[in-house]
Amino acid sequence: MPDFSPTQYAVPLFVVAILIEMIWSRLRSPEAYEPKDTLVSLAFGLGSTMAGALLGGFSVAAVIAAYEYRLFDFGEQWWLVWWAWPLAFVLDDLKYYWVHRAGHRIRWMWAAHVNHHSSQHYNLSTALRQTWTGSFTFGLLFALPLVLLGFHPVMLGIVGGFNLIYQFWIHTEAIDRMPRWFEAVMNTPSHHRVHHATNPRYLDRNYAGVFIIWDKMFGTFEAERHDEQIRYGIVKQLGSFNLLWSVFHEWIGMITDIVRAPWRHKLSYLLREPGWTHDGSRETSDMIRAKWQERSGQVQSHPDNPVANRNPIAPPHEAA
Amino acid sequence: MELHPQLIQFGGSLIAILVLAGIAWALKLGGKPKLHDDADVARVADEAEDGFVAGRFSISRDGAAALARDQAGRIMVIKRHGNRFVGRTLNSRARCREEVDGLVVDTAEAAFGSVRLSLIDASYWADAINRL
Repeated sequence: MPDFSPTQYAVPLFVVAILIEMIWSRLRSPEAYEPKDTLVSLAFGLGSTMAGALLGGFSVAAVIAAYEYRLFDFGEQWWLVWWAWPLAFVLDDLKYYWVHRAGHRIRWMWAAHVNHHSSQHYNLSTALRQTWTGSFTFGLLFALPLVLLGFHPVMLGIVGGFNLIYQFWIHTEAIDRMPRWFEAVMNTPSHHRVHHATNPRYLDRNYAGVFIIWDKMFGTFEAERHDEQIRYGIVKQLGSFNLLWSVFHEWIGMITDIVRAPWRHKLSYLLREPGWTHDGSRETSDMIRAKWQERSGQVQSHPDNPVANRNPIAPPHEAA
Repeated sequence: MELHPQLIQFGGSLIAILVLAGIAWALKLGGKPKLHDDADVARVADEAEDGFVAGRFSISRDGAAALARDQAGRIMVIKRHGNRFVGRTLNSRARCREEVDGLVVDTAEAAFGSVRLSLIDASYWADAINRL
């Protein structure tokens, strides 16, 4: 069985790449980095590794147990089935899309994932701003179908590691656009800048890990525009470099909301989208986008809202 | 005494991140942007809360903070955070006290903290905030 962790080998490359981007920043865009923000991002990365080592045991035990109930068997030497590797990589990336989408649309999942978005900067150090609390969510459930299909947990761990390494380089403003064919298929700095943006038109878009095709297939793709400056972070910016607050703020907010809410709404504060409240006192990303569209008269070119719906021949319930 | 490999890895990583952050500081990355005029405040207020149209503004003399009020009477306090700006729309829990050369706005949000502004029209804002 292969005993290989691609991310461990990639760490020195991450450090070198961040150094190179810092030099680029010094020459071209000094505001792209902020030393305190960088320190928090890197501390997130270190803490995430430690949290994974301390809390990941349950997840490992669960997927190994689930593997015993697999539908297909690639044999004792499953790692020699060459075609299973690219297939696992693609299917794992599809899984990543959905777990990532859940990470933005379900507050329980968002409580862990918000960490990755809490910087107002977008540089390679932001890529390392990884969660400490992923083990306290149900993200593991998204991996179970692949395990039950027969992909060994170690194989999924390795392809997942390569997926994470791929996503590192797209966290940069130093690269504008890749060649058109690449932008069409792959996740790129341009596509992922949109994902990290708080501009209403960009909220909850481009969940892809490696292949941007998932967003195009499932109606969540939005192209970056050059006529609108991106602002990064979260809708309610933290305004603090306190590491522990940055890690736990959304968990604290969610639990406080659950405790204070009437009984019939408690579960909604756990499972509905971030920003949802039973009394309408806060806004979800959909509400922010709708208000912005109403105010600005902007209509997005979005697969959920095709041209035919935006330009009806006649108003609803009226003959053309 | 032999150290556990994971402890060595943790120590090495900790040193690496401190060195990287130190390099960012040594390269003078970041900077301290200032709010210069109403257009700056309007832009930052809209970024902090989409659709916040500021009608009245006051910028702190050092350009590091500002107060803005919209037509609905909502008041937003803006502060420099690193080399970006952040804002909070104040609620009735916010408190404000005048000092010799300005005022201190307490957002009632511990992590966000209070914001000190050096303003000409401090009294106007102090009254407005304490009446929220």
